[in-house]
Amino acid sequence: MITGPLGSGKTTLLRHILAMHPANIAIVMNEFGEITIDAKIIEGQNVRIAELGGGCVCCSLLGEFEAAVTEIINKVGPERIVVETTGLAEPEALVFNIQDALPQCRLDGVISVIDADMLARFPELGHTTRLQIEGADILLLNKIDLVDANQIEPLERKLRETNSSAVIIRTERCRIDPELLFGIGRHREQTDALLGPGSPIPATTHQNRPDFGSFAFSSDKGFSRDCFERFADALPASVIRAKGFVRFQDGSQLFNFVAGRWELEPFEADRTELVFIGKEIAAKKKTILSALKKCEL
Amino acid sequence: MAIFDNLQKISDTAWELPASYKDGMRVPARIIATEKLVREMDEAVYQQISNVTTLPGITRYALCMPDGHSGYGFPIGGVAAMDVHEDGVISPGGIGFDINCGMRLVITNLTLEDVQPHLRQIVDRLYERVPAGVGSHGFLKLSRQDFRNLVEQGARWCIEHDYGWEEDLEFTEENGCISGANSAKISERAVDRGYNQVGTLGSGNHYLEVQVARPEDVRDKELAEKFGLAIPNQVVVMFHCGSRGFGHQVATDYLRTFLKVMDSKYGIKILDRELACAPFESPEGRDYFAAMKCGLNMSFANRQVILHRIREVFSDVFGRSAEDLDMRMVYDVAHNTAKLERHLVDGKERKLLVHRKGATRAFGPGHREVTTRYREIGQPVIIGGSMETGSYLLVGTASGAETFFSTAHGSGRTMSRTKARKLWHGKQLQRDLEARGIYVRSTSWAGLAEEAGAAYKNIDEVIAATELAGISKPVVRFTPIGNVKG
Repeated sequence: MITGPLGSGKTTLLRHILAMHPANIAIVMNEFGEITIDAKIIEGQNVRIAELGGGCVCCSLLGEFEAAVTEIINKVGPERIVVETTGLAEPEALVFNIQDALPQCRLDGVISVIDADMLARFPELGHTTRLQIEGADILLLNKIDLVDANQIEPLERKLRETNSSAVIIRTERCRIDPELLFGIGRHREQTDALLGPGSPIPATTHQNRPDFGSFAFSSDKGFSRDCFERFADALPASVIRAKGFVRFQDGSQLFNFVAGRWELEPFEADRTELVFIGKEIAAKKKTILSALKKCEL
Repeated sequence: MAIFDNLQKISDTAWELPASYKDGMRVPARIIATEKLVREMDEAVYQQISNVTTLPGITRYALCMPDGHSGYGFPIGGVAAMDVHEDGVISPGGIGFDINCGMRLVITNLTLEDVQPHLRQIVDRLYERVPAGVGSHGFLKLSRQDFRNLVEQGARWCIEHDYGWEEDLEFTEENGCISGANSAKISERAVDRGYNQVGTLGSGNHYLEVQVARPEDVRDKELAEKFGLAIPNQVVVMFHCGSRGFGHQVATDYLRTFLKVMDSKYGIKILDRELACAPFESPEGRDYFAAMKCGLNMSFANRQVILHRIREVFSDVFGRSAEDLDMRMVYDVAHNTAKLERHLVDGKERKLLVHRKGATRAFGPGHREVTTRYREIGQPVIIGGSMETGSYLLVGTASGAETFFSTAHGSGRTMSRTKARKLWHGKQLQRDLEARGIYVRSTSWAGLAEEAGAAYKNIDEVIAATELAGISKPVVRFTPIGNVKG
């Protein structure tokens, strides 16, 4: 799910995802008009669908969200659905609807796109913006090219004050490989799933999980494959999940790490970009980053 | 220091953050509530209401009603009057997205005894005839052009198409049609989201309720009789809904526009981006005003069609005409609006754009804008409590001038929807309510949980605060017996 205030770059991110031509993906957006689509439009009951080829479709809601998603699943059968919320939406209610009313889906994660320039310019976070930051698993601090380089860290601290555990990734024009956005989201859900529906359920938002954290790393340098493999084997048990792209001398690879097991597969990427998520991970951040630095060529 | 300590006590029901509290405040921020209710408010409300005082043209103070809680930009319960001759602005965050979300109350000549045996049937039929839920479609088949006409004509369009009685218009704020609505100022996307939703309740806190006026809950017998409430245990129907996806799209479209021009074209600097605005007397401000009025009219029309369905259902169930059941409207009031009104400020009459977001207009006796039928006694005010607790009919007062004749609109949430969903389970809640004699139908169990009574402030405390503050006076308290929840 993609959320964020009006004008923060949600549609740009969708456009970017579409440009990567992902297969078997359905994109649900507020308005078709924001993206030029040269495709056949199918008018459904709850949704308007544009076929983009390769199982990729773009959809615009006509009716109820749950009904529209069900219709998309039945008609198109995508592997992934990316949903854009309006800039005015409070994401938690939709998160609940997905978990509650759409058992045929698993919510992968909530991505909030935040405009760095706006964050710097307006002294107060709005009510809805705050909820959009709080509810995020991944925060894209976007438009960093519009602020001074020395402003970025204070802005990240501002985001951390509201959401201490989300992965913060800096972007310009939302340029990020969509692959990095999938599969690293909802770790907090594990506790929800154990409790199941019923009452009362303790709140499991980020604020109540201060031990849970994450950080991101990026580099334009090439990496030594042997060194990186040793690094991956030696990642501490507190790292639950890591994902990203690594540029080696013989080409770039997608790195996927889940609870001690990892794999690398060839993947087109022009820089190294990694995220690490885990329990009490802040204490290990320095060690992990310096070990990683040693693998740079 | 806790923010409460920054509040200056003006009276038992008025608390003020002085203009010195924060840079940029043009006037003080005033909360109208008892100390208990003020202390229960989320601190974000104090920040939000003080941010509102930084908007150009704000007159006297920014106000927050006793049921205030935080919302997009303005708190819900926020009232702000902008002087349009002093560069006053119009702000969608001060009106809300569900433009003219409002309440309508209709009486019957039936008693609890008459209705009780048929209650399930009535609620089940209402549930069928008044579609509820997030994207629910109405039974009214309108073309896009019909819809454009409807948003310019409001409830009048409905009466002309046989959805109601001519006299219904007299009992609707603005006679059901605010002038100056211009459908050329709304987007195609807004039409997309609205044309099949006329006659639908929607989701969230929208509902339709069958209620009883118990004799012990009649607070002012004489006024109650003037509003048509004269039978012991008389049954009434109250409902709450707005302009659906249409109003939401209108607000979104103009928020985008205002964000582009606010600073670059008009040099307006604000603390919180959610307060995006434009001068009222600017092309952008004027366009939004004309589009927002379409939202007002859409909402009046929506409630008019729903009233028609309610009359049909009662008529079917009891085998008598709606006229024979005396199903007269008491009134229809709007919550989320901005209107041009004349108010006395320091002895001088001024033309002000009064933003009321989650607040009800409450003109006192003798006010020229109150329908002639009620002019002597004042404008009726309808305040809905949570579906578990009860609702009120009140009347505006002369002393309401202090709040630009505005009062509370509901009981106000004490917790987020998400938190409510985590604390209660809808199905269990329905069983509990049924055990207490309230029959509920809902499209969504999670949505039902959001509306649990304990997720709201105590309605009686809110009403008492408005009475103590002299901004409205309770007439009758109603107890729910049946509820269709959106």
